[in-house]
Amino acid sequence: MDARRSAQVGPTDRSPDGTLGPAAPPAAPDLLARIRWPQEDNKIPREIFTDPDLFRLEMDAVFTGPVWVLVGHESEIPRPGDYKTFSVGAIPVIVIRSADGRIGVLVNACAHRGTRLVEGPSGNVGRGGFRCIYHMWTYDTEGRLTAVSLPQDFPSDFRKEDYGLARARTETYGGAIFATFHDDAPPLRDYLAELADGLDRVLGDGALRYLGAISVIFRTNWKLYIENIYDGYHVTALHTGFQVVRLRSHGGERLVPNYERHGHLWGRSHSTPVDQLNPVLRDMSLFEVRTKPSTDHNIMVVFPSGVVTDYFDTIQMRYVVPLELDRTMIEFVFFARAEDTEEEVWHRVRQGPAVLGPAGAITLEDAAALERVQLSATARGENVVLKGTPRRFPPYRHVDEAPIRHFYQAYRRLLGFTLPSEDAPR
Amino acid sequence: MIPTGVLEADARKQAALDLLVRYVRVVDDPRRIEEWPDLFAAEAEYLVITRENYERGLPIAVIRDDSKDRICDRLVIIKQFWGAGGRAEDHHYNAGWPRHIVGPTWVESGDAGQLLVGAHFMVWSTAAVDGSPRLLVVGEYRDVVDFATGAPKLKKKTVILDTSILQDVFVYPL
Ligand code: FES
Ligand SMILES: [Fe+2]
Repeated sequence: MDARRSAQVGPTDRSPDGTLGPAAPPAAPDLLARIRWPQEDNKIPREIFTDPDLFRLEMDAVFTGPVWVLVGHESEIPRPGDYKTFSVGAIPVIVIRSADGRIGVLVNACAHRGTRLVEGPSGNVGRGGFRCIYHMWTYDTEGRLTAVSLPQDFPSDFRKEDYGLARARTETYGGAIFATFHDDAPPLRDYLAELADGLDRVLGDGALRYLGAISVIFRTNWKLYIENIYDGYHVTALHTGFQVVRLRSHGGERLVPNYERHGHLWGRSHSTPVDQLNPVLRDMSLFEVRTKPSTDHNIMVVFPSGVVTDYFDTIQMRYVVPLELDRTMIEFVFFARAEDTEEEVWHRVRQGPAVLGPAGAITLEDAAALERVQLSATARGENVVLKGTPRRFPPYRHVDEAPIRHFYQAYRRLLGFTLPSEDAPR
Repeated sequence: MIPTGVLEADARKQAALDLLVRYVRVVDDPRRIEEWPDLFAAEAEYLVITRENYERGLPIAVIRDDSKDRICDRLVIIKQFWGAGGRAEDHHYNAGWPRHIVGPTWVESGDAGQLLVGAHFMVWSTAAVDGSPRLLVVGEYRDVVDFATGAPKLKKKTVILDTSILQDVFVYPL
């Protein structure tokens, strides 16, 4: 009996799996068996938001699984030696532009006894490279060990070449930097599949200017933050600001590119132009589009944890970092286009965080709702996804929550949970 | 015998400190939040920025209300956008009692009769949803107080946050 099969314990779990097998062997079948996942693809057991063992398993099976994690954009580290710190799941990393201009992702832990090499969110290492404070080992921008203090009496076979920093595989698309720690991750372009068309629209050729970032902690499980992006249903209900200014979206759709395997999201919509909105604000530039021909928006999730959007004139990426079971850091990162006029840059600076940021007009309601879902997940039972689910496959309407199913399908496959039955009722 | 100039200076300094106290009482009391724009001059700016962005010269701020219009708009966003369309007793945020703790405060003279007021501060908020007290931010105020119309008004309030990772979202101004 294979481990995946052994996870099928409950009476509702006996139907055949979906046609696709898990990408990685399940690491903890006992744990997976403990969480009873209904055979329908629109039900989500609340235990997945409250189980500490599952959280630890996710750090390996998802974040260091065969996925590409969005870790930054090249414009954040424009000069040789520029770096920023980040986390891929539980692994602290340094995202760096090396002395010869190449982008790399190094593990932020000294190869000797594991000391964190750099503190703080960003900087430039300069010529000296990274020097560990503990015993003064020094690394260059490629992570090679270049100097060791007082190496007398080391074992005679000690070679510096054996003690470089661990590295993630790194690729970029449109300047967006992705990292993976898994040998089986396909080439990035294959992983993105049709989502690349969406990224092209927002990132263009990658010539962006970094304007700054704001990080905030949401008191919710990382999956609840991500599934919220797939959910078009909540937008008009929860974000009452849209009703107040009478902003409507129309003609939109929610695609799930590569849903058979990776379950990314590409939401597209078209909304009311600013001159037709109810002018309740004295400064309506929050909702104004000046740099695009029309009010078309894109919002994407690069599975599992990257968000990319061009909402109004706000070019934004979000990096979602799970901290604990019920705490998730979201880094809102803002960009301008390299060819922008100063007026356009300034418009983006004034608009971005005012709409989509921790104090933005359309953000803190999500924090409230997701915290409440998290707090009551101990109630057990299942969350259910209904709107748009009579359609089995994308495209969905932009007001549907049905795409959430595909996020969890990709998630279940990575973890080794039983997959939903193909012909289960929904 | 104290010269009148000194008395005037002392009175203005006290007025600037009183303005800071009034500011704290207004932003800490949801029932008084409508008074908040009045604390600013007719042309004014309210900026909340992380120390990280401030020191690196990056323009992205948590709040950049760079006009009195935007300062007034913040009330509309609080009451109507986040306040479930302005329906009484309804809101789409997690309510809490904010509590500013303001530490050492200093006053220096600036240009054109303005005073520069600096202070260390932190904000706690006790959330209704689970009763937990939460440290929202720790940081520094840099205020420019203007007396052009007689009464002290904030010409510019810059709030620099040491907590570059915000520990929670916040509803009322810091
Ligand atoms: S732990 Fe870094 S040099 Fe020893
Ligand atoms: Fe939302």
